[in-house]
Amino acid sequence: MSPRVRIALLALAALVLLPGAAEVIAGLPPFGSTIAQYGERINAITPEARHVANMVSAINFDLRGLDTLGEEFMLLAAITGTVVLLRGRRGEGNTGHAMRRPGRAVIPRSEAVILACRIAGPLTALFGLYVVLHATVTPGGGFQGGVILASGTLLIYLGEGYAGWRQAIHSHWLDALEGGGALLFALCGLVPMLTGAAFMQNILPLGIFRDLFSGGLMLVENLGVALAVTGGFTQLFLEFMEETRAADEAEEPGEESA
Amino acid sequence: MTAFPAALLPLPVAIPLVICAAMLATAHLLPARLPDILATLSALTVAVLCGVIAVRAADGPLVYWFGGWEPRDGLHLGIGFSVDEASGWVAAFIGLLYALTFVFAWGFFDRTHGHFHILMLLFLAAMVGFCFTRDMFNLFVWFEVMSVAAFALTAYHLAESGLAGAINFTVVNSLAGFLMLGGIGLIYAQTGTLDFEGIAAAVARGGRDPVVAGAFCLVAGALMIKGAIVPFQFWLADAHAVAPSPVSVIFSGAMVSLGLFGLAKVSAVVFGASDQVQHALPALLIGLGCFTALLGGWMALLQRHLKRMLAFSTISHAGIMLTGLGALSVDGTGGMLVYVVGHGLVKGALFMVAGILLATQASIDEIALRGLGRGIWPAGIAMALAGLLLCGLPLGLLDQGTRLIQGALAQQGHGIALVAGVIGAALTGAAVLRAAGRIFLGLGPDPGDEAGAPSEDEREKANRPLWLMLGPCCALLALDMGVPAGLIEHALPRAASAFMHRPVVDAVSEGPGWLPWASVAAALAGAGYGLLRNHLPALLVLPVRATQSAPTRALEALHSGLIGDYAAWLAVGVAMIAAVLAMA
Amino acid sequence: MSVLPYAVAAWLFGIGLYGIATSRNFIHLVGCLGVCQSATYVLLLGLGYRWGGIAPIFYDHPPGTPAVDPVMQALVLTDIVVGATLTALLLVLTIQAHKRGGSLDPEKLRPMRAGGTSGRGQGASRVSDREQSTS
Repeated sequence: MSPRVRIALLALAALVLLPGAAEVIAGLPPFGSTIAQYGERINAITPEARHVANMVSAINFDLRGLDTLGEEFMLLAAITGTVVLLRGRRGEGNTGHAMRRPGRAVIPRSEAVILACRIAGPLTALFGLYVVLHATVTPGGGFQGGVILASGTLLIYLGEGYAGWRQAIHSHWLDALEGGGALLFALCGLVPMLTGAAFMQNILPLGIFRDLFSGGLMLVENLGVALAVTGGFTQLFLEFMEETRAADEAEEPGEESA
Repeated sequence: MTAFPAALLPLPVAIPLVICAAMLATAHLLPARLPDILATLSALTVAVLCGVIAVRAADGPLVYWFGGWEPRDGLHLGIGFSVDEASGWVAAFIGLLYALTFVFAWGFFDRTHGHFHILMLLFLAAMVGFCFTRDMFNLFVWFEVMSVAAFALTAYHLAESGLAGAINFTVVNSLAGFLMLGGIGLIYAQTGTLDFEGIAAAVARGGRDPVVAGAFCLVAGALMIKGAIVPFQFWLADAHAVAPSPVSVIFSGAMVSLGLFGLAKVSAVVFGASDQVQHALPALLIGLGCFTALLGGWMALLQRHLKRMLAFSTISHAGIMLTGLGALSVDGTGGMLVYVVGHGLVKGALFMVAGILLATQASIDEIALRGLGRGIWPAGIAMALAGLLLCGLPLGLLDQGTRLIQGALAQQGHGIALVAGVIGAALTGAAVLRAAGRIFLGLGPDPGDEAGAPSEDEREKANRPLWLMLGPCCALLALDMGVPAGLIEHALPRAASAFMHRPVVDAVSEGPGWLPWASVAAALAGAGYGLLRNHLPALLVLPVRATQSAPTRALEALHSGLIGDYAAWLAVGVAMIAAVLAMA
Repeated sequence: MSVLPYAVAAWLFGIGLYGIATSRNFIHLVGCLGVCQSATYVLLLGLGYRWGGIAPIFYDHPPGTPAVDPVMQALVLTDIVVGATLTALLLVLTIQAHKRGGSLDPEKLRPMRAGGTSGRGQGASRVSDREQSTS
């Protein structure tokens, strides 16, 4: 199909869809007038029922915790898939050490960059931890904090160079972090069932409203997400980074993925 | 606190998730065979649990509220699972299909630290969650988990065609996810809830509402993309043909039909009270279904790449399922549910035969394989049997589903759909039987130079014993033929009514008994024509050749493999759904 | 003005789809897919918005203050994760496709092409170096 035919088809579809879209938009509640009953109700009852200030975290880790469990494992699937697809070509064996691209000069870093990274690295990690811990009271959470923590590790790369980064980061630990975090989250669902409660029912003491340690089980789930996301995203960086090091034309790979 | 049978509901989802998280955490420590064993056992556990749930759900759907958030004052606060008998059995079938696939793939993927098994178990958990959930957004989450696991599994081989196929698959199915999310946003804004029952009640109160129709259009479009309905079907052939065989078994056997299963659930339960949607459905589903059945069958007949042929046959059978759904009756939907299971068993067995050929003969090309299958004749018997079952041999689950769908269509006067279904099934059966005859009997003209397959060399792990691969294949076929028909006849009216939230019907009607035989005869004639063309009189051959060349070229040009074309067709498909809804 | 957010969402999806349909570069295509996805963000957040509502976090404001819909915010958070996973996977596939086929153009990297009555690729036989080894 030539691009022109394609655009004609798209235009035809748009012509049919536009009146429908207009009708749908006209039928929606006017923008900004009201919010759905479900959200209204959650805003009304959750601060008291779960002693947490952040409604979004309450939904993610308590009311609709199952969605987040699915989301967490979606991330795990994507990262496992990424690892498989990127390593498949390079082979599994040579992930233990830093690879070096032949013929590429190693440019030494300036001291200013190293110093800046050594200062910013711990600060970023601290900020990430802060965001993780304040999931139930401020706009934070395991996912956001985990991503910040993972990007903090990139500062090691920037400051210490690739070999230094690879010394600090081990693929196996990341697997353990990622799988362990996801396992912790899944167990947060199953353990309450042992006590006769429902899957992921909040059976821990709820703490005090607006306190750092409020929300009971949510904190543990949040920790699981943070671990999994930190491990997962660092793994992602590692694999993509390794990809820039791989030789363009790999000699006959000795390892097979399938 | 939830009582015993309902308390089982989270387990079939949670167990595979826990196992795969634990497998990932200890990935580099696991001994070589442990992932195989763990994965097979957890899939079996899921199957057994789902079976128990299905048995317990016979008296009425089991409901489970996650986090103990039961509805308060008629408002649904948390996420619920609601399992009726039919959903439970479909989930049990999926668990069993996975278990047999893991056996089939034994040793296929060593050296990857169980990554294959992790992805497959996630895929399984997502499918079970998709069957069980009663929450719109949760449905989307499982839909996406399913997609993401599938994307990664498709490209496992990292061959060039595999990668392009995987990219097309990923882009088209991601668009499906976005459409679905848009639809969920619309329906949530209008009804203020995400629970199936809550939405259904609000839709019933609302009357004709363009927002509800718009939401249905988007959600149905997304599920039809997953279900590979024309004009959304393009991704399927690209993806199924290149995925590793064990993955193709799951794709064709469970994933595609689950899209239609979701469509059945959503249109009967969530949008069941919207007159506009219900008026539009028969025309929409039967029209698209007929077209899909015929196109898939015709394309299957044209393929010489065995897995691509099977992929097109899956498209054809998805069309037949859709026509059953379009009857909007308890027998039609019930027949479609039986068909999902029967088709999954037979198609899974066929993909396993393809995998056996890839492993033992290092080729998947029908012409190149001519006569090479003689050494593994048991696989040939399995393939011929599966081909006969596929085109309607009156035996087993697939046939029972077919007859129920035909009965429902005949009752409502959809004669064209009936004929389209029979022709589609006959065409796919003819394609499979022709391939079986050529590969295992050495029939057909000597290919000469044509034998060199114009494609990448393909080969799958060759060091597995034949019985290990053939065993699960035969188990699937035995299961299809072995389930007693009386059992289904007895349970189906009740189960299908509960699935659709309708009052129980007394009995279901079945189609005329001669139709399956007509279909088998047509398939045999088609296969015979394909193999013995050179021996037939020219008077017979020339007109056939002349009439088929032009449409064939056009169809093949349509399946260009270009993602841009697929995106344009996707827009056209959504516009078609919208137009039918607007006219209803 | 009250229809503007929804119109923007529809436009974003349409323009993203146009981009996908006409794209000649896979990286560009991944970007277009992201544009399509932003349509869902805009739609969901727009549907959950309320004039004058605060963020649904009752730390500085007492519970009971009118807030926007927290459910939509939670859904968008999940949606963002979906976006991240899809982008990562697609980029990996793109990298590998580029290594295999030496091009990022969808026109040059077709999956098995149909052609001729044999129904199967006229693509030249490309013996890939990573097919199942005999080792």
